[in-house]
Amino acid sequence: MKILTVFLFSLGLGSAVSAAEQPVIVDHNRMMDHGDGHLMDMDGGMVMGQNKDKLPAGCDRVSEDVQVTVHAGRKFSKDFPGTMFGFDKHEWRVKPCTRLTVNFINEDPIRHQWMMHGLPKFMYDKGMFHLEVTGPAKVSGTLILPSEDRTYLVHCDIAQHMEKGMKGQLIVGKGSGTFPSIPGITDPAIFDNYAPSATVQPEKPNAAVPAPQAASSATGAGTAAAPPAAGGTVLSGSLVLGFVAGVFGAPAAVAYYNRRLKGRSFPEVLANLTSLIKAAACRLADWLSRLYQRIRSGKRYLPKGDE
Amino acid sequence: MQSKSLALICVCASLGFLTPAIAVTTNPATEKVAVDDAEPFCNSGVPPEWRDAQVVEDVKIDESRVCNPDNPADIAAFVRGTNNISMQTLMDTNLAADALTLSNDMDGDGDPDHVIIKLEIMELNGHSPDFPGVVPTFDIAPGIQPSFWVYTPKTRDMSTKSFASAEANPMLRLPAPVIRVEQGDVVWIVLENTHYFPHSIHLHGVDHPYMDHSGEGNDGVGQTSQMDVMPGQSKTYVIKPRQAGTMYYHCHVQPHTHIPMGLAGIFIVEENRPNNWVQTFNVGAGQVRHPSAAVKERYVGEYDLHFQSIDKELHRMPQAANDPRLIARAMNQEYDITDATDDYFVLNGRAFPYTLRESLVVVQPNEKVKLRVLNGHTDPMALHIHGHKATETHYDGVDVAPAARITRDVYSLAPAQRIDLELNTTDDGLHSFGSGLWMYHDHTERAFTTDGMGEGGSISLVAYRDYLDDKGTPKTHGMDLSPYFSKKFWQRKIPVWQNLADEWGSLGVPAGSGYAAASRAAAGAGSAAPVKAGDGGTGGTLEGLLAGVLLGILAYVGFLNRAFLQAQLGRLINRQHGN
Repeated sequence: MKILTVFLFSLGLGSAVSAAEQPVIVDHNRMMDHGDGHLMDMDGGMVMGQNKDKLPAGCDRVSEDVQVTVHAGRKFSKDFPGTMFGFDKHEWRVKPCTRLTVNFINEDPIRHQWMMHGLPKFMYDKGMFHLEVTGPAKVSGTLILPSEDRTYLVHCDIAQHMEKGMKGQLIVGKGSGTFPSIPGITDPAIFDNYAPSATVQPEKPNAAVPAPQAASSATGAGTAAAPPAAGGTVLSGSLVLGFVAGVFGAPAAVAYYNRRLKGRSFPEVLANLTSLIKAAACRLADWLSRLYQRIRSGKRYLPKGDE
Repeated sequence: MQSKSLALICVCASLGFLTPAIAVTTNPATEKVAVDDAEPFCNSGVPPEWRDAQVVEDVKIDESRVCNPDNPADIAAFVRGTNNISMQTLMDTNLAADALTLSNDMDGDGDPDHVIIKLEIMELNGHSPDFPGVVPTFDIAPGIQPSFWVYTPKTRDMSTKSFASAEANPMLRLPAPVIRVEQGDVVWIVLENTHYFPHSIHLHGVDHPYMDHSGEGNDGVGQTSQMDVMPGQSKTYVIKPRQAGTMYYHCHVQPHTHIPMGLAGIFIVEENRPNNWVQTFNVGAGQVRHPSAAVKERYVGEYDLHFQSIDKELHRMPQAANDPRLIARAMNQEYDITDATDDYFVLNGRAFPYTLRESLVVVQPNEKVKLRVLNGHTDPMALHIHGHKATETHYDGVDVAPAARITRDVYSLAPAQRIDLELNTTDDGLHSFGSGLWMYHDHTERAFTTDGMGEGGSISLVAYRDYLDDKGTPKTHGMDLSPYFSKKFWQRKIPVWQNLADEWGSLGVPAGSGYAAASRAAAGAGSAAPVKAGDGGTGGTLEGLLAGVLLGILAYVGFLNRAFLQAQLGRLINRQHGN
């Protein structure tokens, strides 16, 4: 029997998906209550943090009853280029102490969530109110919001669903600011770089896009890494200098050879070379002695090692 | 006075010597780099009783003497199905209620024959537009967080361990889970594509019809079989495998990047036996805590070993942008795998030393253990087990006639190949050299490094029970392992031998030598970029100058003899054409 229902369910699901016109929304309204506001059924529908009657501190009574219907799915990414998933609305405003019922309709045949964080932990397990279902299906849950003005994060916590569009905020009263990167509402904290990356650079494929900072705070996230020095080790400045010296020095040396040494006997050549070296050595020694005297004279020209 | 000293120095110079300075130059002292961020060997924080042999939901669960054992509640759910366990057990897992449905004992032999497996696709260490870090995190080694895409059993609730933690919950990890079914089962594999790119499942080596009964393609190959599964869509693959063996499953969309990104896992068809409830998932691979009936007939234990390799440039791409179009462009059009090299090597999703927390093969003398090995590298590998010669019993899931089986100590595996090994711990100098902590690793040298830092990579141990404490910590007899558990070590900041030679650090790092500056940038997260040495060593400058002069002279000589060179070149080209 169980297998038959599963089979029929998936059959219905399959045809609904292939038809893709009007998905049959399965209402998950017969869930088991596991206590503590946690409800669940065997087809993956769940509600966490349901609270229909416990008043938060600071609320004398429920200020008003509000129903919202939230649609979730791929198709809601259409209006927001650069996203892949989305809700049909990304911001909701209610009064403090509102009893809010969220009817969450997931139109995709995968899981989505409407997850809220930051509620008082003594009333809501982990400070969460959470609706989750695999579509096409609907799940509903109710909670009573605290009395403070505050902005609550609402998102789908499946990896990359929030980042790729499933993010919103619930503003109670005047709220307490906004969250970044909510489609159509706030800018991201970190912008993408849309510059054309014309050339393919296999060794540094992300050159056009700023690489993410260090992931772990322990290594000092946010500190910019030193930029790699221009030019590799192969083409260092000294190599280029040497190359220039070689190219122009060689003909000069050959010219010198032709002028002074060509056709002479070995002793003559030796004498010539010796005098050349001697002149160079003397010039060097002269420079060294002048340097020495300057140092001796007390004037500081060279930095000391320990400074 | 001046001319006198000048003359003196000139004489010295003409002799070819300059008197050395009076003070003797002392080399820099050794600077000790503190290892101040090392994690403890075991910080899994699991309840100690998880490691014990136990029975949960009538499922017999073997002992698992490692730091980070599988949750027994998960094992119970993987054996009984999420539909056949108590709500309490299900709540002790992160699984969705419909993750694994087992039912319908069609042949009446006491085990379920219809299996519905639901898989999702999760990105680990992915980009966030809200803060500079990655989420949800999965470290392959201290501080190393390349992005991954993995198949996961269908989960529920948060992706992270808690709202305060960015760490992925234990179901979301590398490698994709090992999947086990029984020969002849009707298996529906439901792929719910929760990722932002198209994906599929190709059942490599697993008996599957090309088309299913409803006329849909079943091979997972977009070009020939069936459209890829788009983001937010779902596809059911239907199989009834007739042959048992160690097989493979992987994504076949842009497979040259999607397989390395992590969309690949071991798929095992277990031989049919009566009352044979197999452990459908082995999350994170490693020890199978509930081996199948057929394996139990011949072996005391079973281990799944999935080797993978990672090119850090590829795995940085999903972290470098949020817009799926930019990521797609980078991965599909800019990344060139033919110019790529792998940097990280992992066994069951971790590199040394993290492998020691999870992937120990724990044995006792005089027993037989079954190892199922998959080479998920982009290159061939050469598995070697120290102190043992194991026997290759199956190649790619097909058994070898006993007389033809080969016993050896290096096992070659081409990419995607599987071998089954029988590890016999009889101390006879052939099969085993006796008790100990014996390393096993891919003997391709780069595979025991992590981005070129040794010892890292996919090293793990065959650990005899006597050499483990209650928490599964190996009682090693060598060096202090704590530097390996430090992020700084993998950022190349800790001299590998600084504490080894003597207390004054003969093999440490010279003070002020700019060791840290010359090492990789402290970026962590695998985003370390080489920084040019700040000391600008004069040796390097002089070398460059000399090389430049030589090159210059060579260029001049070449210029003088250009006619000759041109003639030679012409002859060479002609000869090539002639051939």
